[in-house]
Amino acid sequence: MTVVERARELNKHAVSQLVSVFEDTRPDAADRRAQVLAQLGPAKATVIGVTGTPGAGKSSLVARIVPALLADSALSVAVLAVDPASHVSGGALLGDRTRTRFATGEKRSFFRSQSNAAELGGLAPTTFQVTRLLKRLFDIVIVETVGIGQSELDIRYLADHVYLVLQPLGGDEIQFLKAGIIEIPDSFILNKCDDPAAGQSYYQLRSSLSLARPFDEELPPIHRTSARTGEGIDELASALLKVGPRHSDDERERYFFSRWVEDEWGNTGRRYLAASPDALKAGFDAAQGQFEAGILAWLGKAER
Amino acid sequence: MSTPVHELPERDRPWIIRTYAGHSSAKASNELYRSNLEKGQTGLSIAFDLPTQCGYDSDDPIARPEVGKVGVPINSLDDFHVLFDGIPLEKMNTSMTINGTAMWLLALYVALARERGEDESKLQGTTQNDLIKEYLARGTYIFPPEASMRLIAEMYEYCLEAIPKWNASNICSYHLQEAGATPVQELAFALANAISLLDLIKARGHFTDEQFERAVGRISFFVNAGIRFIEEMSKMRAFGELWDSYTSERFGVTQEKYRRFRYGVQVNSLGLTEAQPENNAWRIILEALGVTLSRNARCRALQLPAWNEAMSLPRPWDQQWALRLQQILAYETDLLEYPDLFDGSPVVESKVNALIEEATDEIETILGMGGVIPAIESGYMKTALVRSMSERMSRINAGEQIVVGLNKWTEGLPSPLTAGDDGGIFRVDEKAAEAIIASLEHIRETRDSARADAALAALKQAARDGSNLMEPSIECALARVTTGEWAGALREVFGEYRPATGIEGQQLGLSGDRVELLRQRIDALATKQGHRPRLVVGKPGLDGHSNGAEVIAVSARHVGFDVVYSGIRLSPDEIVQSAVEEGADVIGASVLSGSHLDLAKQILDGLREQGADEDIAVVFGGIIPPSDARELESMGIKKVFTPADYELMDVMESIVEVLEAR
Repeated sequence: MTVVERARELNKHAVSQLVSVFEDTRPDAADRRAQVLAQLGPAKATVIGVTGTPGAGKSSLVARIVPALLADSALSVAVLAVDPASHVSGGALLGDRTRTRFATGEKRSFFRSQSNAAELGGLAPTTFQVTRLLKRLFDIVIVETVGIGQSELDIRYLADHVYLVLQPLGGDEIQFLKAGIIEIPDSFILNKCDDPAAGQSYYQLRSSLSLARPFDEELPPIHRTSARTGEGIDELASALLKVGPRHSDDERERYFFSRWVEDEWGNTGRRYLAASPDALKAGFDAAQGQFEAGILAWLGKAER
Repeated sequence: MSTPVHELPERDRPWIIRTYAGHSSAKASNELYRSNLEKGQTGLSIAFDLPTQCGYDSDDPIARPEVGKVGVPINSLDDFHVLFDGIPLEKMNTSMTINGTAMWLLALYVALARERGEDESKLQGTTQNDLIKEYLARGTYIFPPEASMRLIAEMYEYCLEAIPKWNASNICSYHLQEAGATPVQELAFALANAISLLDLIKARGHFTDEQFERAVGRISFFVNAGIRFIEEMSKMRAFGELWDSYTSERFGVTQEKYRRFRYGVQVNSLGLTEAQPENNAWRIILEALGVTLSRNARCRALQLPAWNEAMSLPRPWDQQWALRLQQILAYETDLLEYPDLFDGSPVVESKVNALIEEATDEIETILGMGGVIPAIESGYMKTALVRSMSERMSRINAGEQIVVGLNKWTEGLPSPLTAGDDGGIFRVDEKAAEAIIASLEHIRETRDSARADAALAALKQAARDGSNLMEPSIECALARVTTGEWAGALREVFGEYRPATGIEGQQLGLSGDRVELLRQRIDALATKQGHRPRLVVGKPGLDGHSNGAEVIAVSARHVGFDVVYSGIRLSPDEIVQSAVEEGADVIGASVLSGSHLDLAKQILDGLREQGADEDIAVVFGGIIPPSDARELESMGIKKVFTPADYELMDVMESIVEVLEAR
């Protein structure tokens, strides 16, 4: 059996090997990705985004939701969890797995950690690529973002439905309001609802939502859960199963291709600067004026 | 004529002389205890294996590789009958290093006395039962903090009248020093722990004022003593003074005897080296002086590690050698003939006062946070320990702190002590585990199952309604409930605790050219492979000493690896699954319990089954004797690291070499 055939049967090692192809940063990996996608055919899964500040309990919540989804023996679930990388070494500590321990040998679940490679977004540079694969193998793909709060827009394009996880009296609402993050999620999850402060937080959240999201015709859903006691998990799981597609794959690809161009050309610009020690010599403003001519000339040389 | 100031009316009685022992099976351990007692040991110190400590039966899959490795396996009361065969309980002082399942082991001990017709009120000894340091350093906790503290408090409430000479718990600073604590941190964290426990016992309101005062008198401590033995001696005096003032001022204890700082000691293992291991014998002697020299701060009980502890579990001969050291100190020297030697010394007084002052500040900081539980949950104490440990390692790496034979005078002649047929190390009899599992099955088949079920149901009921769990536990013991069943029942009610890993915020002070060079090599690997090299770090098995694995995880990230840290208490299958799903390039497994051969085999088999053995290299770290290291390498483990590999950049470089060679 080929790797793709074994992956279709959810053999863990085969799935993992294919994920590695979709994470591969070498240029020739693009062809292999296209071949794999062609063999696998159209995507079937719903993509669910889970975001929220570190400490809100995203991982513990995911650890609870997945077994609840797997209770339906026809379903399979993949989780992609993104953690931040060190800006100094480029390395990362991927610790979500500690909190999300699934049964061993269960083919219907798959967990992969990713490093955001020190990019600002909440996703890894290859998260989009890997979801393209996982959507063709599993029924539900859950993407857990870094959740720092900056540039979390990507997840809205990647996922069919985005959940923002909040903890009682975390004070996160205000921060999210300021950062405009509160406009992104489709639903809210107030976790740790076994905390005595949860009741108060729930009403605070409702009132700040009506202020922050004047575009909503009605209040977005707020789920109350406790990853500790399991409260509210089954309700959340059944709501999650009703999620339908948001973007077409074309729309998604257009967005992430433009993100890729942005990253790639930003990097090209940096390479140009590294090769042109005099670019800033005449001062910041002059450098901006001369930039386009400079980089085009440099690219011309670089091509030759 | 009055007695001269340098004389005691009569020579002091020595401290209780013990060796920490137990292995393989109840039968083998019983033979060992009896022979140690014949050799002049005056108390027992029981080492339990990790499944017993973590509340699993010997035949549980996660327990299987650990059975009998670091101590004796106890599955039921029948094992206790064998363990204490021929040893009179009423006359013995028995110390049990047991925490998460402390109540269960005490219940077994009481049940044993009842079945043997001995007077349970005469039992003497200690259950270690300090969960705070388990969360911080040692890792054999089971339940969340609130439930753990309840179990400890209930044992005090039970013991005070029923077994008045039993120390329900032993506040440990020992393990904190092993995890890197400075003397001030040892003083402050241990005393804050004891104060928080007494606050809780008082708040529960089960005791009258008179009973509470006696309960304060039952608090005892388990302390470490390191190589800086003058400072350590001063630390013991500071402990005594601080405890006296807190018990009197905070708890209003009027009787002096209930304010006394009672403590036992195991001297430091952290500073013992695998390099030139014979030097450890001298270190141990000096460390023993720190806790015996000052009469007013002398330990009540002492146990010494064996010289070869950094290499393996001690052999009977190694234990005898350690015992003889204590006997020479107590019986040959004139140590026990004098009053306190340091009273009135301005140097000692000044040192003690400085320690008291700093420790008091730290104690007040912790109490200001609401006590030790909040200080654990917020990571405050763990972070402080990790920082101290990092500083210690940096000093040793930089040569500022001299460790003879390790970073100075490293050339030496080969040691004849390690030249015997066994290489100076101990091996557990592999066959013993099979017999234990057979007898466990026998018990489950032959016991009165209605009685066992009823006892477990009553235990769960008491756990839910908040009544004292000691009597229901004793009934479980008598009904031949097993260790795994007792802990399993309480897990159902209380849940299981998974703490913060402590890897966040570690500062290892690693910088310089070697780090830069390694980063370049890792970047080059990332370009070549198309992904940043991935390392899965995990601790298979039940041993919870996570510091080593955490330091490796943090260092690896620091040089540029993507590190999946998957935590402690993992089965080999879980580690394999992590590595396969994560597309790891290498697994780093850390094992300190001596089960490395079994665990390595299971991990390699698991990888082979998944067809991932070609893709994923495996390296091992731990207390691994050289002959085992060779065996691991012949099995297919790519590198083996031992405590001799203390230089982190060497370790990182070796792992990078493994990947570059592929």
